[in-house]
Amino acid sequence: MKKKKTQLPELPPKAKQHMGMKARNAISNTLIHILLIVITIIWLVPFVCIILQSFRCESSYMVGYVIPKEWGFDNYIALFDTDFPKWYINTFITAVITALLQTVIVLCMSYTLSRFRFKGRKLLMRFMLILGMFPGMLTMIILYRVLKDIGMTEANAVPGLILVYIASSGMGYYVSKGFFDTIPKSLDEAARIDGATRLQILTKVILPLAKPIVIYTILTAFMAPWGDFVFARYVSMNVSSGMNVAVGLFSWLNKDMIDGRYTMFCAAGVLVALPVALLFIFLQKYYVEGVTGGAVKG
Amino acid sequence: MASVKLTNVKKVYDKKVVAVSDFNLEIADKEFVVFVGPSGCGKSTTLRMIAGLEEITDGTIEIDGVIVNDLQPKDRNIAMVFQNYALYPHMTVYDNIAFSLRIKKLPEDEIYNRVTHAAEVLGISEYLLRKPRALSGGQRQRVAIGRAMVRDSKVFLMDEPLSNLDAKLRNQMRAEIILLREQLDTTFVYVTHDQTEAMTLGDRIVIMKDGYVQQIGTPEEVFERPENLFVAEFIGAPKMNIMKTQLLYENGKYYVTPFDSKIEVDGETGELLKEKGYGSREVILGVRPEHIVLSENDAQNTISGTVMVNEMMGSELHLHIKTADDTKIIARTPTVNLCREERLQLKSGHPVHLTFPGKVMYFFDPETEKNLIY
Repeated sequence: MKKKKTQLPELPPKAKQHMGMKARNAISNTLIHILLIVITIIWLVPFVCIILQSFRCESSYMVGYVIPKEWGFDNYIALFDTDFPKWYINTFITAVITALLQTVIVLCMSYTLSRFRFKGRKLLMRFMLILGMFPGMLTMIILYRVLKDIGMTEANAVPGLILVYIASSGMGYYVSKGFFDTIPKSLDEAARIDGATRLQILTKVILPLAKPIVIYTILTAFMAPWGDFVFARYVSMNVSSGMNVAVGLFSWLNKDMIDGRYTMFCAAGVLVALPVALLFIFLQKYYVEGVTGGAVKG
Repeated sequence: MASVKLTNVKKVYDKKVVAVSDFNLEIADKEFVVFVGPSGCGKSTTLRMIAGLEEITDGTIEIDGVIVNDLQPKDRNIAMVFQNYALYPHMTVYDNIAFSLRIKKLPEDEIYNRVTHAAEVLGISEYLLRKPRALSGGQRQRVAIGRAMVRDSKVFLMDEPLSNLDAKLRNQMRAEIILLREQLDTTFVYVTHDQTEAMTLGDRIVIMKDGYVQQIGTPEEVFERPENLFVAEFIGAPKMNIMKTQLLYENGKYYVTPFDSKIEVDGETGELLKEKGYGSREVILGVRPEHIVLSENDAQNTISGTVMVNEMMGSELHLHIKTADDTKIIARTPTVNLCREERLQLKSGHPVHLTFPGKVMYFFDPETEKNLIY
């Protein structure tokens, strides 16, 4: 191997170089901040518009201005005379039960795959990875058929949806398994010698240490059913009492109804966004830790 | 308090890698046994098999006469201290120590008594409400020992408990483990790669290499009568000097001829050689650094060399000496025997003469590497 000698460029005096760096940093920081502010405004405009529209009382149809002339909660109150509360309850029940069951399943699955070595473990993980690559829509027709046969469609869509959402939840183990892998195995071993069962190890040692990932799992498990549209619409089959918020509100979006209900639609949108937004604001810290925690040992 | 018996224990990983073979050992009640060996020799694996953290491929392990092969760790009534402490980071020191007792559902006041007693013995009472994060390495190790102490278990297993501590703290904790052992009065199995720990702590030492037991014996036995070359080199620091040489038998006396010298093998060693009836033959000669004597002048029974490195250890010098044919010999010389001028002279490049005392030599077979005398 020949060693090439590289000529070093002449360096400016130290003080000057320092100043230059400082100035350059300041400029690039300013540019980045300006860009971020512009993006934030573009993102926030629709949300602000919807919130403002939801408080408009003077008319219920689309108008050419944003700031309401008369403010009030009329739109929110009017929602109670529609099927919206029913949809909201449907969605809430579905999302909460799914979040609970799915979290339990995902965490047990992740712990098992992280700590136990059994025959076919690798195969199982690869199989689930490949299975996860197929779009879920493919299964819709057959799932509908099954749900219809056991009477879980139309007005009974809620249990049917819960069943479908949690059925494949074991496949979402990647992030939490990655997190569990970073918790030293000797903690499990110490607990085993201390007399703990596997379940006790999981609940008393591993989960308290994996708080961010538990919260991340609950959040994602809550979000999916909360915002689901395609499958929920298919299963509820135009029966209003089986709809969730997304499907129900969509039924308002037609020429006959939207003129009378545009501001109510906006109010409903705000109410739907509220729980998720609140959850995120309070749990954001853990969410970020959970997403990045699997990769980098904290 | 219990005896532990291992019979033909074997561990194979993935049907391929043999980690431990043919391990036979009986540990008496209240005995302190140390497993020692270089990394990868299977000592930790054996300990983990006793603990129940590794499955036993073949053979049996008995604790107190009961075969425990298929028992879960929690049913074996053992306590274990891990190298990395394995403290539960989210619990306070008190909760860490109390964890096993709470699992057993003991009454809280009983738990309180046991935990505070253990903390007192270990001198960690003032840290009971801290999290492990806020403790130093030595304190964490005490907590780990405390967690094992409160359980009243039959066997106390320790997996390199001092390896993560700095040298000074390690010496201190070693002394404390000896005290702890007197207080607990139970059976100990201790794993280490450090021969000093093994020598100072163990009633008996098990020396392992590549999954096989090399020798089991008291510290005196393994030091004075190593069964083979590996044990001889492993026990003792700095390690024994090894050289291939010729053993001569002339007129009823034995001589060795390292580096063109001729040194008489006398004393006990010579008599033992005679008892075994060896004639002249090839041998591997072993001489411990502390037995090497520096001599003033060149003679037939001395070897000449030059000092390469002089390590001043305080009470003694470790001299790394290069002989004429570039072999390295390490000698330990107590500083009390040298006056200041002599000490200062012994720097790099200084010529020295040294000799081996015939009565404390070790002889090994060049082929089998077995000790020829014992």
